[in-house]
Amino acid sequence: MAAVYDHLVTVLTDKFEVDAEEIRPDMTLAGLELDSLAIVELYVTLQEHWGVPLAEDDSAADLTVEQVAQAVTAQLPAGDADRDGAPR
Amino acid sequence: MTKVSPTAVINGLGSCLPPRVLTNDDVRRRGVLDTSDAWIRSRTGIARRRAADDDISTGDLAVAAGRAAQESAAARADLVLVATTTPDRRCPATAPEVADRLGLGTVPAFDLSAVCSGFLYGLVVATALIRTGVCTRPLVIGAETYSRIIDPLDRDTAVIFGDGAGAVLLRAGDRAEPGALAGTDWGADGTGADLIAITAGGARQPDPAHRMSREERYFRMRGREVYGQAVRRMTESSRAVLAKAGWPPASVGAFIGHQANQRILDSVADRVGIPPRHCYGNLHDVGNTAAASIPLALADTAAHRRVRPGTPTLLTAFGGGLTWASAAMTWPAARPCDRPPEPRATGSTASPTARSTHRRNPSWPLSTTTS
Repeated sequence: MAAVYDHLVTVLTDKFEVDAEEIRPDMTLAGLELDSLAIVELYVTLQEHWGVPLAEDDSAADLTVEQVAQAVTAQLPAGDADRDGAPR
Repeated sequence: MTKVSPTAVINGLGSCLPPRVLTNDDVRRRGVLDTSDAWIRSRTGIARRRAADDDISTGDLAVAAGRAAQESAAARADLVLVATTTPDRRCPATAPEVADRLGLGTVPAFDLSAVCSGFLYGLVVATALIRTGVCTRPLVIGAETYSRIIDPLDRDTAVIFGDGAGAVLLRAGDRAEPGALAGTDWGADGTGADLIAITAGGARQPDPAHRMSREERYFRMRGREVYGQAVRRMTESSRAVLAKAGWPPASVGAFIGHQANQRILDSVADRVGIPPRHCYGNLHDVGNTAAASIPLALADTAAHRRVRPGTPTLLTAFGGGLTWASAAMTWPAARPCDRPPEPRATGSTASPTARSTHRRNPSWPLSTTTS
């Protein structure tokens, strides 16, 4: 989960130019000013990186950063969530 | 005896746009849509599109674009393929009448239905027909009047689509020539058939007299799922066709993706590794013209001489079906021609005044925007 969350923060800051200080686990994607297409793009990016199936029609503006990270983590085989070696 | 030649070469480029322009505000007002010019531009990259008047059909646009492509090539077609989602009639195909109106006699002519991938599907078929010696000068036309199938009250689609037609005339040639096809890739996935669809009007739900809801009657698209599929499929297909051609992404000097949505195009180009300066298109000015989008973007970019002939070029498209296709080619040397629509009432094999498009000619109707 920590690696997924950290990667998500990196994607949000690098690709979507979200200010890192605004990103908190309980912040919604809409709150981070991602529009509907940006949210789908985020899902596509996460699917590619983690190799997991995420349904784009499940993407929604009211999802929080933590909920998105959980959706990815739930699809990962046990132990894979920390494969990037990020600190727990 | 038919000579089997190594590949197809784009020898002529033609285009036809109906003159009526619809701005984003026009579309918003017409459908009383809860949207704005700024919203549409930020989500789609589209500022305006063309709409055919009621007396102009897909075939009328196709005839003009086909005539323009033949004029550009200074050659006549020996086969006509019309890629369209919006044929003039459910039966027969639009292409035979287009061929007749072009004065081509009894050449083979057929329609191809692959929605927004239709033109590149047609290019794959025509290239194969040339390579196998079945024909030598196929005319591939992408022509659409989405204004006839779009629900003006549906914000998700009403702001996206526009009418128009583009065409290429191919000939048998050598791989070293500008405009030569170096590789093609195509595919389909029917598990996504419902993502882009018109429910009624076919064999499954044919009764046109039956009262139909807007949902059944009009074109519908499930935008979020289509976005994901479009990005993935066009990226994979682009990589596949470049691998077949033996071209690294960095060698591509011109990229034209199906002019669906600027954000999708940017996403695909970024994934494939094509820098923005090599991306071309006219989405901003004509919207998504479905099967017509790639030949229209080719013709517009060529009219402005933005790409040097011979430049390695990547074309890719995605559409309903689901379908996708890509082509690796070198940029053609052909000077494109543009023609006004040819309504049937006045249209015949008689030729209206052509607008030849040269750099100094100010009559070219579009400004190209890099995508």
